[in-house]
Amino acid sequence: MINVNPQVLITDSERLDINNLTAEQVALEIKNLNLHYGDKQALQNISMKIPKGQVTAFIGPSGCGKSTLLRCINRMNDLVDICKIDGAIELNGENIYAKHVDVAQLRRKVGMVFQRPNPFPKSIYENVVYGLRLIGQNNRRVLDEVCERSLRAAALWDEVKDRIHESALGLSGGQQQRLVIARAIAIEPEVLLLDEPTSALDPISTLTIEELINDLKQQYTVVIVTHNMQQAARVSDQTAFMYMGDLIEYADTNTLFTTPAKKKTEDYITGRYG
Amino acid sequence: MKTWFKSGSPWVWLSAAGVSISLISVVGLLLLIASRGLSYFWPSQIHQFELQNVHGESSVVIGEIYEHERIPAKQLNNKNVDIGDAQTVDRYLVKTGNRELVSLDFRWVLEPMVQKQTQPENVVVIERRTNGNFYGFIEEVYMGGEKVEAATLDDFIERVSELQEDIEQLQGKDIGAINFELERIRLKERKAELDGKLTSQLKADFEQRRAELAQQYNKLEANLNQLRQEVQRDKIVVRAMDGQTVDINLEQVLQITFNNQMGFFAKLGQFFHQIGSFIGDDPREANTEGGVFPAIFGTVLMVLLMTVIVSPLGVVAAIYLHEYAGNNAFTKLLRIAVINLAGVPSIVYGVFGLGFFVYMVGGSLDQLFYPESLPSPTFGSPGVLWSAITLAILTLPVVIVSTEEGLARIPSSMRHGSLALGATKAETLWRIILPIASPAIMTGIILAIARAAGEVAPLMLVGVVKMAPTLPLDGNFPFLHLERKFMHLGFHIYDVGFQSPNVEAARPLVYATALLLVTIIVALNMTAVSIRNRLREKYRSLEN
Repeated sequence: MINVNPQVLITDSERLDINNLTAEQVALEIKNLNLHYGDKQALQNISMKIPKGQVTAFIGPSGCGKSTLLRCINRMNDLVDICKIDGAIELNGENIYAKHVDVAQLRRKVGMVFQRPNPFPKSIYENVVYGLRLIGQNNRRVLDEVCERSLRAAALWDEVKDRIHESALGLSGGQQQRLVIARAIAIEPEVLLLDEPTSALDPISTLTIEELINDLKQQYTVVIVTHNMQQAARVSDQTAFMYMGDLIEYADTNTLFTTPAKKKTEDYITGRYG
Repeated sequence: MKTWFKSGSPWVWLSAAGVSISLISVVGLLLLIASRGLSYFWPSQIHQFELQNVHGESSVVIGEIYEHERIPAKQLNNKNVDIGDAQTVDRYLVKTGNRELVSLDFRWVLEPMVQKQTQPENVVVIERRTNGNFYGFIEEVYMGGEKVEAATLDDFIERVSELQEDIEQLQGKDIGAINFELERIRLKERKAELDGKLTSQLKADFEQRRAELAQQYNKLEANLNQLRQEVQRDKIVVRAMDGQTVDINLEQVLQITFNNQMGFFAKLGQFFHQIGSFIGDDPREANTEGGVFPAIFGTVLMVLLMTVIVSPLGVVAAIYLHEYAGNNAFTKLLRIAVINLAGVPSIVYGVFGLGFFVYMVGGSLDQLFYPESLPSPTFGSPGVLWSAITLAILTLPVVIVSTEEGLARIPSSMRHGSLALGATKAETLWRIILPIASPAIMTGIILAIARAAGEVAPLMLVGVVKMAPTLPLDGNFPFLHLERKFMHLGFHIYDVGFQSPNVEAARPLVYATALLLVTIIVALNMTAVSIRNRLREKYRSLEN
């Protein structure tokens, strides 16, 4: 069994019952989501509710569809031509797959950080304010303020404050990843999607990012995909275990790792396969 | 032996040999052009040969030695010279100038005929506006009909060159502007006539304006005549090699040098002076003398125009092909067509440019916008704009292909990062993708420039001429005259080398012009390369 970090342990009174959430407590609701890549079905009838202001982790073996599910939430799968989706994902009660939805607008509300750090070949400053410049915000004072606030929130400010106008490509991998997080939260999204954010990083950078995730849930709903079960146990409040495109079990992290309800979950977290 | 093959070293040697061959040919080519071209500017010694033939008749030849060669005695049919039993004969090609006295300004001098060869100190080279160089001895100098000391000659020449400059200024700029204005009035009148708006009031206005201009013109012409008389004030009397004396008006003289009196540094100074006038002056004597400035200007202007046209066109086409066009058979066909376009012979583009751009597009433009100047064409005849567009089409594939490759090299994480921040595809392209692809775009532009600057064949059909009376850029509104014909260094080489009446005289010019053309292309390329390197430096970390 995996030890759950006592820091993240929540007392019973605080713990949300994810099967009985009130409408205000739900950030995202996935309803009967099916996804096909060409003829192959990658997600099968997924339904779940992701609570507000908490960290939800998707775990599972490679190719189980956890990243695909994450990419559905900000419609990054639209970029794949052969991808077909049915079902619904509701953000604040509105289906993001409805016809009238502006995808660019949606992605401003649902930010995303990728597996490998992908800063733009611009200065650190320009990277952070990129999202603001997109909506035509060019007021120097506003940009400066947002830049500092976002970098502080991403725990990067102290390291880079003297060189924010230098190229972002000169930062280390861990710093770049935090910069990308700062860039995502600069436009103040409601939900932040993290797609294996530490898989390309060394252990110390990983630790920094995990601490950061803990801070981020004060303000944002965080959904994280990880192949690292210890990490899921350390940072998340809820964990969903997926296998072969199915959502096998979804429970609060403590429960899932200590008393899994399904045999497959138990096999996976005890390392019998995966 | 087997292990030697296995180790791969034969291939290393083979590739090293390949590299050496290309390097040697490039360096050899450049060295040849440079040495032949630059030696043209170096002031050479003037030799005086005293010759005697078998009949005892003697003569004197003065000139620069251009070539020295050894030929078999059998080849020599000259009965005037006794060569004895010798198997071979040396001979010199001597530039004797003095074109008004002898029809050819080059002649062969046979070694056995030479009695005495000297380099007289007081022999002069007189560079003239017409009739080429004169070699001889200054006998007398006249100022306005009075004989004066030869020492004042330099001052006289300076005075003449200043006056000549004034004349040129007056002729080209002031009188040119009046002519331009007169033509504009004629066109305005014709336009009014065509529109049926030509009232007698308007007519009178035009007449009045014309009269004013005519008055101005008369004033300028009087000025000009006065200057012309002044410039003809002085003359020199020169003795040629055969003892004849010739009067040369200083108006004709560009420069008088005593080559045999010059030290190394004086020659060096003269060398750079000659290079300067080659680059900065207009051509004379059917392009066989003088400078090539209009050709340099035409080449650079045309290439820059071409770059301005081809870059946006190529980049936009590449973006469409790579980003927006569906990945289907039609796109593949399009791509193959683009690549094959690069293989079409350039003269075909010339024919297309003449037929489509000049006659169809240019002709229609004339019908629409310049009906008043018809039947004489404005845009409906070859010109610098059509040349630039034709070469832009010619180089388009290069820009498209390298831009597309640049776009394909950009990691998809860049696009995703931008899209995930709420950028649309167009915003991502404009703000992220294009800046990162810019080094690849520059590579395409470099290749386009390299190809376009050296292209001559299509230009002969769509705008290049042997001698353009005016530059495409001048002081008359609208300053840049894109419809004008222009001169081009590549065509200049062809014209001077193969169409010139005086091949021997033109040969060094061919090398010098070739050197200049290569230098200009290299300079244009280096500029583009340095821009690209700067961009690359900026986006370097993305390469891997």
